[in-house]
Amino acid sequence: MNELENSFYVFHTFLTPLHRLFTGDASFHTQDRRMNDHPSSPKPREPVPVAVVGQFSWGLTILFVLASTCWVLLPYTGYLFSALVFLMAIVLAGTRWNRGPVLAMGVVSALVWNFIFIPPQFTLHIEKPQDIIMFAMFFVVALSMGHLITRLREREAALEQHHAEREQLLEAKHRAELLAESERLHRTLLDSVSHELKTPIAIIRTALDGLGQGNAYAAEIETANRRLQRIVENFLEMTRVESEALKPRPDWCEISDVLHAATTPLQKELSQHLLRLSGTDDLPLMMLDSRLLAQVLGNVLHNATLYAPAGTEIEIHAALTKGRLELRVRDHGPGLPLGTEDHVFDKFYRAPDSPAGGTGLGLAIARGLMRAMKGDIEAHNHPEGGAEFLLRVERVFQLVPSGTDSHQTPKTS
Amino acid sequence: MSKALIIDDEQQMRRLLRMVLESRGYEVCEAADGQLGLQEAAFQRPDVVLLDLGLPGLGGIDVLKRLREWTDVPVLILSVRDQETVKVEALELGADDYVTKPFGTAELLARLDVIQRRRFTRQSPEIIAGALKLDLLHHEATLADAALKLTPTEFALIKVLAEHAGRIVTQNQIMKQVWAGQSSDPSEGLRVHINHLRKKLGESGPRIVNEPGIGYRLEES
Repeated sequence: MNELENSFYVFHTFLTPLHRLFTGDASFHTQDRRMNDHPSSPKPREPVPVAVVGQFSWGLTILFVLASTCWVLLPYTGYLFSALVFLMAIVLAGTRWNRGPVLAMGVVSALVWNFIFIPPQFTLHIEKPQDIIMFAMFFVVALSMGHLITRLREREAALEQHHAEREQLLEAKHRAELLAESERLHRTLLDSVSHELKTPIAIIRTALDGLGQGNAYAAEIETANRRLQRIVENFLEMTRVESEALKPRPDWCEISDVLHAATTPLQKELSQHLLRLSGTDDLPLMMLDSRLLAQVLGNVLHNATLYAPAGTEIEIHAALTKGRLELRVRDHGPGLPLGTEDHVFDKFYRAPDSPAGGTGLGLAIARGLMRAMKGDIEAHNHPEGGAEFLLRVERVFQLVPSGTDSHQTPKTS
Repeated sequence: MSKALIIDDEQQMRRLLRMVLESRGYEVCEAADGQLGLQEAAFQRPDVVLLDLGLPGLGGIDVLKRLREWTDVPVLILSVRDQETVKVEALELGADDYVTKPFGTAELLARLDVIQRRRFTRQSPEIIAGALKLDLLHHEATLADAALKLTPTEFALIKVLAEHAGRIVTQNQIMKQVWAGQSSDPSEGLRVHINHLRKKLGESGPRIVNEPGIGYRLEES
């Protein structure tokens, strides 16, 4: 076994520095020995760390082990056997490793095969012409196999990634569809509930109109019907606000249109009060959802008519400074009970001695709508008495008032 | 005597509307769904149609589309609140106006009257809306017999509104007729010109009323 020891020594001296160079791995010997215990296994590889450097050193180590094994078996198998073993190792390495290490294995194994196995041994010289051809063929096959297999694997990986991305996209699309479907369902339900509840109210209203004015009983029914209508509308609106199905649709609008839209449905309620406006004439065109703002203003005004005594003034003051629109609604009623300034916006909150007929939703809806418009609403008592509500919208686009062909200016606060 | 067709799935609503309309001298026919409504419209040839948007089966919008394939009979939409986009769709498909349920009888009858008035007749070069008079021949406007100075755009705008006096005109309809879709942000221009027009019309002239999310209505004061 002198020869064997000799060749082992050759390999060892050749490989160890390389392996160390690549990895700094001190455990080379033990690993090497462990693998030497199963020399017949053609793939002595476990899941290998992916680092390329690791692959280089593992590749060389494997070649070393295989070469030693083949060296031992050389008398029984002949030198061609070892070429096939090397090729198999390269193919298997190609299925897992990067191209660099695999091609390096190809080169090294070709040289090792030539140096150790092709006669005359331990020279790079080749005697027989067929051996030269075989060596050349080995070289080509090893390199192209390594190249092709790693490329195949890369493609597979790319395909897999592509596939995964597609799956992800499909899943996202599916989720979006589900969401849209549930939103649609919600809308349909809301629409149908809305229709069912409002139809009888509409019928009562039309029937009452047919009865004509002057009937005291009919007047009572009408008052109750109006109340019912408000309750139903508030409940539906609250549902809409909470489901976040509500998306503001801003457009250029005039504050006078907002005021008109807010007060028209409240004509009856407002008839007992004097409405005084200030600052509204100075406002330029603004980019707002006028319908939502009008609804908020309507709810706040209605609230004021409930609490402020008949004959008193309700003041609305509007101002736009640095892109912030502020609407103040002040009444001359008893004001808010101390400490309830923020509770008035809670759902179903009713002030301790508030008149019957409210749902406790009007102001909660107002806050929901203002927040949907990226604004807010606050309440406090005016220093000179009465409650004051402050409606605020930030970053309102406005039209520069000078000239007709003016520009829009983004005003930020 | 006008003949009115009521297309509504609520029997009670139909019965009440029939009473209201008959008391006003209308001859009334009714249909409980869209399909029947289309048949009735073809057989009865009504002068005005009251169409509920929330019909089961063939919906109000579809009924309107089918109607408009062969007739310009005035159509009044009956709808519940919060259907702004549907209302606009109906108006742009050729509905003449809408009332929101629950509606007052007076409002309903007024709307019916307005939409049955002959639409703008090309035979006369004059449009009169309350105190406002538009001379289309000379492009001149007078308010209570005093000359009213209007820019060409303002004149085109008030003309569209006055032609439809008392009726809602959607924002899109106005912009199509006045700007022919040539302005980059027509909504902005529309608001600016409406604002100027309102100032020129003052307190005594007809009022230009905005219905948020839908459009404008010229009301003769």
